[in-house]
Formats: sequence, C-alpha cells, structure tokens
Amino acid sequence: MKLSSAKVPKESKGASPSYGGHSNNSKRRIISHTILPFQQADQLDQWSSVAAVDMHHNNTNTNTNNHHHPQPQNSHTSTSRSSDYSAGGGGGGSEPCATGNKWASRLLRECARAISDKDSSKIHHLLWMLNELASPYGDCDQKLASYFLQALFCKATESGQRCYKTLTSVAEKGNSFDSARKLILKFQEVSPWTTFGHVAANGAILEALDGETKLHIIDISNTLCTQWPTLLEALATRNDETPHLKLTVVVTANIVRSVMKEISQRMEKFARLMGVPFEFNVISGLNHLGELTKEGLGVSDDEAIAVNCIGALRRVAVEERGAVIQMFQSLRPKVVTVVEEEADFSSTRYDFVSCFEECLRFYTLYFEMLEESFNPTSNEKLMLERECSRSIVRILACDNEEDNGDGGECERRERGSQWSDRLKEAFSPVGFSDDVVDDVKALLKRYKAGWALMQPHQDEIGLYLTWKEEPAVWASAWKP
Amino acid sequence: MKGGFEVVHATLDMIQPHHEPIWDFASVGFPTTSTVSSNPRQTVENSCINLERNELSEWVEQVTKQLIDDLPADTGTDDRTSLQEVEASMVCEDNFAPSQLGDFWPRKTVRRSFLDGSFGAELQWGNDLGNQTNVDVCENGGNDRGLDEQGLSLLTLLLECAVAISVDNLGEAHRMLLELTQMSSPYAPSCAERVVAYFAKAMSSRVINSWLGICSPLINYKSVHFAFQAFNNVSPFIKFAHFTSNQAILEAFYSRNRVHIIDLDIMQGLQWPALFHILATRIEGPPHVMMTGMGSSMELLVETGKQLSNFAKRLGLSFEFHPIAKKFGEIDITMVQVRRGETLAIHWLQHSLYDATGPDWKVLRLFEQLAPRVITLVEQDLSHSGSFLDRFVGSLHYYSTMFDSLGAYLPADDPNRHRIEHCLFYREINNILAIGGPARSGEDKFKHWRSELARNCFLQVPMSSNSMAQAQLILNMFPPAHGYSLVQGDGTLKLGWKDTSLLTASAWTSHASG
Repeated sequence: MKLSSAKVPKESKGASPSYGGHSNNSKRRIISHTILPFQQADQLDQWSSVAAVDMHHNNTNTNTNNHHHPQPQNSHTSTSRSSDYSAGGGGGGSEPCATGNKWASRLLRECARAISDKDSSKIHHLLWMLNELASPYGDCDQKLASYFLQALFCKATESGQRCYKTLTSVAEKGNSFDSARKLILKFQEVSPWTTFGHVAANGAILEALDGETKLHIIDISNTLCTQWPTLLEALATRNDETPHLKLTVVVTANIVRSVMKEISQRMEKFARLMGVPFEFNVISGLNHLGELTKEGLGVSDDEAIAVNCIGALRRVAVEERGAVIQMFQSLRPKVVTVVEEEADFSSTRYDFVSCFEECLRFYTLYFEMLEESFNPTSNEKLMLERECSRSIVRILACDNEEDNGDGGECERRERGSQWSDRLKEAFSPVGFSDDVVDDVKALLKRYKAGWALMQPHQDEIGLYLTWKEEPAVWASAWKP
Repeated sequence: MKGGFEVVHATLDMIQPHHEPIWDFASVGFPTTSTVSSNPRQTVENSCINLERNELSEWVEQVTKQLIDDLPADTGTDDRTSLQEVEASMVCEDNFAPSQLGDFWPRKTVRRSFLDGSFGAELQWGNDLGNQTNVDVCENGGNDRGLDEQGLSLLTLLLECAVAISVDNLGEAHRMLLELTQMSSPYAPSCAERVVAYFAKAMSSRVINSWLGICSPLINYKSVHFAFQAFNNVSPFIKFAHFTSNQAILEAFYSRNRVHIIDLDIMQGLQWPALFHILATRIEGPPHVMMTGMGSSMELLVETGKQLSNFAKRLGLSFEFHPIAKKFGEIDITMVQVRRGETLAIHWLQHSLYDATGPDWKVLRLFEQLAPRVITLVEQDLSHSGSFLDRFVGSLHYYSTMFDSLGAYLPADDPNRHRIEHCLFYREINNILAIGGPARSGEDKFKHWRSELARNCFLQVPMSSNSMAQAQLILNMFPPAHGYSLVQGDGTLKLGWKDTSLLTASAWTSHASG
C-alpha cells in the first residue's frame, strides 16, 4: 500500500451528499470531499440549541416528544463558537447508561427522517452534532451515536459495502481461537443472552431424542459449540446406555470458520472424557444454507435427527428462508430448535426509517444490556459492540446487496412470531416442558437482575428471554 | 455541580514573599540546570532495540522525525491512482505491506488475545483439556505498558493515515481508519494501543467533518470538569499550574490592598481557594478581592462564583465576583471593569479542550490595554499552529507522554484512568486534530505565547525559588515521583514526564504597570 497521492475527486462547492440521488461517479466515489469554507457556529446555533433544549427538557422530565422549541438556551452566547451542551452524566463510561437521557436516540431518529425526506441541510446539521457528541468509548448514548453515525456516513457516501468488507476482514484477521473463546465465555459468564437459547434447545432436544441410540445433531450456529458440553454430559449420565452422537456443525460466519479446527479437537477430547461415542463434522464453505443437502450433511436413515439453529436463520437471505425450512423438513428431523434475537429488520427492509428505528431500538437494548453486564473497561464488551457496529453498517448502509453471493452475513432478523409463521409451513410447534422451563429459570438466577422469562400466552409459540421486560431472545422447538 | 473545594490545598502553605523587590528587577536569565537533554536522534532501527527502556513517546519522536523527512515534497494531482486500485485496496488482503519507513517494519501482526486475567469458568473449555496454546502469556512479558509489536504496527499505520489526511486523500485515510479503529482498544494494557485508538477516532471525526464542511465543537462541560477533577487527583500537572501561578500572583500582590484577578477560563475555580486562604491570612492584612471569571456558560460561572463567594466569606475575605460568559479575545476593555487603584493579575491556564479565548491577536491586544501587574501563564508544550501534520506529530508526542505518565500510575482497567483519557485527553486530541488548525478556524494561533509576550511590551518575571519549592512539594505528593521531571530555566518552571516537558509556567508583567 504505497502512500499514493491518489486524490479523491473533489465535489463542487455547495453540493450535498447523495442519498440515492446519483451523480455520475457516485458509485465509484469513496468519500466526497467538499472544500466548503467552514461554517461558523452562528448558522448552527438553531440546531445546537434545539438539541440542547431537547436534552434540557429531557432532564427536567417534560413530555416533549419530537417537538423542537427553537428558543436559545439562556447560557448560550451567540458569539461563542462552541456550543454548550448540558446533557446529564459524564462521558466516562463508568456510569450505567440506563439513566442516560437518550439524546442519541432522538438525534439519530431525526436524522433518519431527514434522510428519508432528503432534507440535505438538516441531514448535515444532525450528522455534525452526532459527530461531535459521539464516541465508541463513552456511555451508551455516545456509543450508539458513534456506530449509527458510521452507518449513516457510509450510506451517505455510498461506501457501505466496502466499509463492511473492510471491517469484517480486519475483524477476521484479528480473530483467533483464543480470542473467540475468551469472548464467548466471558459473555456467557455475565449474560444469559446465548446460554438461554442453549439451555432451552438442549432441553427440547434431549426430550425429543429420548430413547434413541443413534443421534445426529445438525448444529447451525456460531456459538463455538459452547452449547454441547452440557448436552454431552446429560447423555453420559442417562440411565440407559449412552447413545452415539454425531454432531455436524454448519458454520456460516466467516469469523468462526478459522477456529473450528481447534474446536473440533476439544469437542472430541471432551466427548472421550465423558465416555460418549462421538463423531464430529464441520461443514463450512457454504455460500448459503440453501445449498445444504441430506447427502452433504451425511444424514443416514437410522439416525434420529435434531436440527439446532441458533441465530442461523437470520443469516439466510430473506427470499430463501422458506426453501431452507423445506430443506430441514426433507431431513425428517425429530426436533428442530430455533433461537433468534427478537427484532424485525426484515419486513422493514424497504422502508429506511422503519428499519432504522427498529435497528436503533434493538441495539439500544443490546448496548444497554452490555453496559450493565460487563465492566466499564472490558475489551470483550468492546468486541461485541464492534460486532454490532458491523451488523449495523450491513443493515443500514448496504442497500439490498445481500444477494451478492457473499451470503452468510445477512443479518435481517425477524421476530419470533414471524419465524413461527414460516416454520408452521413445515412443522408443528412443541411446547417446552416444565422441566426445561425450570432449567431456564434456574439459569437466569445465576445472572444479575434484569433478566426474566416470558412464557407464551395464547397463540404465541416458544419462550422469550426478556431484558428489563423487553423481549430480547426467542427460543422455540418444532416437530414434524 | 459542586466544586471540589477540599482544603487539601491548606497543607501546602504558600510561602510568603520576602521584601525583596523581585518585581522591580528586569528579567534575568537563570542559569539552566536543565535535566532535559536532547535525545540523540537514533535511527529507527536502533530504536527497536531500546524499546524496553525508552517509552512510547520517545519512539514516536524518533519515527515521526524520520517520517517528516521522508515525506514526498510533491503532492501533485497528476499522480492519481485509478479508482479501481483505491477500491481494491479497501479490501486489500495484504494490509501490512512495507511502508516508507523502510527497514523498520514488524512482521505480520501478532495474533491478539484479550487477556484481562479472567477466564471463563466453564469446565468444558477449561485449561485442563487438551493442548494449550500460549494463552496465558501476556503479550509483552513484564513490559505490558510499553511498546510491543502490535503497538508498533498500529502506530505506523496511524502515521501513514495522518500523512494521507495531510495530503487530502480522505478515501484512503478512511479505509485505514476503519482498520485502526477496529484493531485498537482504549482499554489495552499497552499505552501505544490506547493512543492509537483515540487518535484514530479523532481523525475519523475529522474525516467526517471535512466531508460535512462543518467544523464546530459541541462540548459537554460537565463531563470535562468531572474528568478534570479526576485528573487533578492522580496527576500533578494541574496542581503545579495552580500553585506556581498562585505564588507568582501572591508575590505580585505584595502590599496591595485592592486586587483584581481575571481568570480567562475559570471552570470550577479549583485554583482559587488556596490563594484566598493565604491572602486572608497574610501579614499585611487581607486585600479586597475582585475576581472576573470567564467561561462559556453563564450558568456554570454563576455557580462557580457562588462557591468562591461562600468560601471567601468563611475566610472573612472581602470578595466580589464578576462572571463574563464570553471569550477574552472577544470582549473589549470596558467589559472588564478594572477600577482605579486595583492591582490586576491575569491568569491563563491553557488547555486544548476547546478554544477558550478566541483570536490570539485580540487577546494580546487586550493584555496590552489592561497592562496588568502580572500575567501568570501556564502553557502546554504543544503547538496549535501549523499544518495538520505538524499538529499531528506534536500532539502524538505530547499525548503519548501523557498516556505514559498515567499508565505508570494506574492499572489498565481503572475507570478513573479511562475517564481521564476519554473525557480529557481524547477531547483535546479531537479538538487539535479535528477542529483546530488555521484552515478550519480561519485564524492563526501563536506558536508560543511566551515568545509573543516577550516580543510585545511584557517583561518576564522569573518564577521565584518559592514557586519552585511549591512545585517540588506537589511532586512529592504524587508517586511515582521519579517519573516526573521538574526543571527551572529561563525564569520558567517546566513540569514533564521523563525527558519530555509538558507544561510550562511563567509570569509576566506589563511595562506600563505600576
């Protein structure tokens, strides 16, 4: 990479960023550099005081929703170049951001609406504010502002796909078995986000395969097989003869592929330790799940099949989800377990503002959860946040480019009810037994307060893990 | 917001001035007994060997010099890489090709493991199973604060990124920043990595505001003040500034009965209680004190004024407070309300958090008009003038040293350390790189205030031995004292870390003052 003097074509003065309106070279432009003289703050006073007033109102608990009251703040001097921003709380990152006043959410939503309205001047001003206030190392609001700003910036400069590729390739380079393992173990230690699904799914699988002697679990997940040791233990301690377990792991995230070798070694060792006859296979190198076949999976007719999908279906391109479920059906499994994060980026995918708002809602919950679960200076938390930042770029700044054969990294989540509608085409729901529910409740007790289990009422299927009463993760089980 | 007026300051009794008319002497150059030796400029290769002993800041100094020397003089527009090439390079597999830094290039980046000492409790993946990779070994052995290969490669990429920005190649810079920001963590044990994390973020911020064409900071003053206090507790710099200045002011106020202090950026006024204490109890009796406090928010100023008034009242000190929510360089002399017979002191503790004073030349002019008896100036040894690359290199050196000094004292996961680094240092770095600079602010900052004052109607008043004694006392309060260096020379007092001077305190009097 030589230090070239490659210049980016300079945009003419006064041009506004393109958001779908195209100039000739917009596709190729990486960053457009305007040589506008820098604007004085006076013109920006209205916006900064607007935001400041919004924040101020928030502090004093009024109910102004999205109303702008363009009164200048009394402490704001008009000749001052810098603007006073008196949001509460420090940016130190050591205070729980659950008490934050959500300025980021307001600004971001305003910005999304401005983008959709193509209000160029407003977009500029909001991006400016976000840029000034954001930091990936501050409190929740600052983090959300930072990562969403990154996505918006990529969108505005039409560099979403490239940014995403760069971000993921850097992340993959920095990944190693040790780092990945450390990360997921730490996450599981402080939060039931992934272990919830594991416990529920294992419970359902064990019950469905009870009495079988040849088990074949098809594991489509990216949790590095942290789900299986407990299941192996359970199999080993069953009263009757220990069954034979074949575990076929289908890997879809690139970042996980590189570590599967070590994982398989460990799994095999562990199974030997447990005294469970064990076979372990990895399938990676698929572009998308639709390519899976019975033969490819090594499924034989005398096996009792369980298909375990943890965060897997969301990585399937939206139009192909039905086909993948049909493919599962063709395997004639005894049980299918599906665990997904509760968010809808799928039905909103053609409506930028709705998609944005849903994305913001979900990631606000997630970031707040991370903030309260980890130490303030935790590197693991940072890695998880960065993972989110890549997803956010993917969802918001890579318009409909998910079918480009790059597969695997689509992140269009759907809610449990939506997945249920799909799965009902091929399967019938199975409720979780009381034993499993008890196991899950016992699990949640091991963690800090804030977590709860929500059981389905009426027509709902599955179990929900809730964080501060918001449904966060959905687990379900299905039979043919 | 409560001011932090703990009377910790009371333990440091300020030394009363003698009768010596220090103030009537012209400035005399003190012999320099400087311990600041100039580093031999080693080649970059040699610097690798010495990394254990030298620190981040020294490496930065050496490499950046080489980088500047190597910088292509011509940045003509003809030599444009095709867009495809630039695009391809965004997804470049081989991101660590040799750079202009010649032989000095680490091997492919060391695989990272996020070691924070705690391991997952799960039996299944516990260490008793199977082969062990070198998980438990800290990347650097004992020297995990210092420079490791990972830190080096990050810094090198950072420098290249700065060069890209300086030649306006924002696309390339953006790509490099995406990498840098993903690869560096502000919570790392290595100072180098922390520095990179924050510098990269500041430059990202700059890329965005360059693109937007808007450059104006939004500052959360509460967060800044909070961090300032935390910094004050763990590091001697602020106290050094306060106490040496207070001593100089005290000396200037000798035998004066009506005094007026103008603090150009008073913030929470942490400095003044100590001075009030001494003024209230001085032998010749307390003066009437008028204080003009300047800052950005009237609300905060009024609060500070209240706190100071209460404190003064408790001391029985006659006190008035006049807040001005404007920048010093944007007011005129009539706003300041200096009365006849008042002895005027102007105090300026410079920082880089935001522009506190406005256009430099106007500040100077107002200084001249006011003709104060003393100006106490505390400057960072950091220049805000010059090109982006100049500021980049200067601030990289400066903040590397700052980070080193904190890192010697506080553990990696200390939330206070994080607060200081994030809310204070990072704010400054961001302000210098993303906001500051003549192209953006439209004005030229003076490189060096001491030189400007010397050039224009002001006489330096050498910092007295009493001030030096104050500074020494402060240093003794802060472990590891041996890391900080206190130097007296040219009538100034300099506080730094190891061989790098960071803060310089000096005092000046107007020719025209009484």
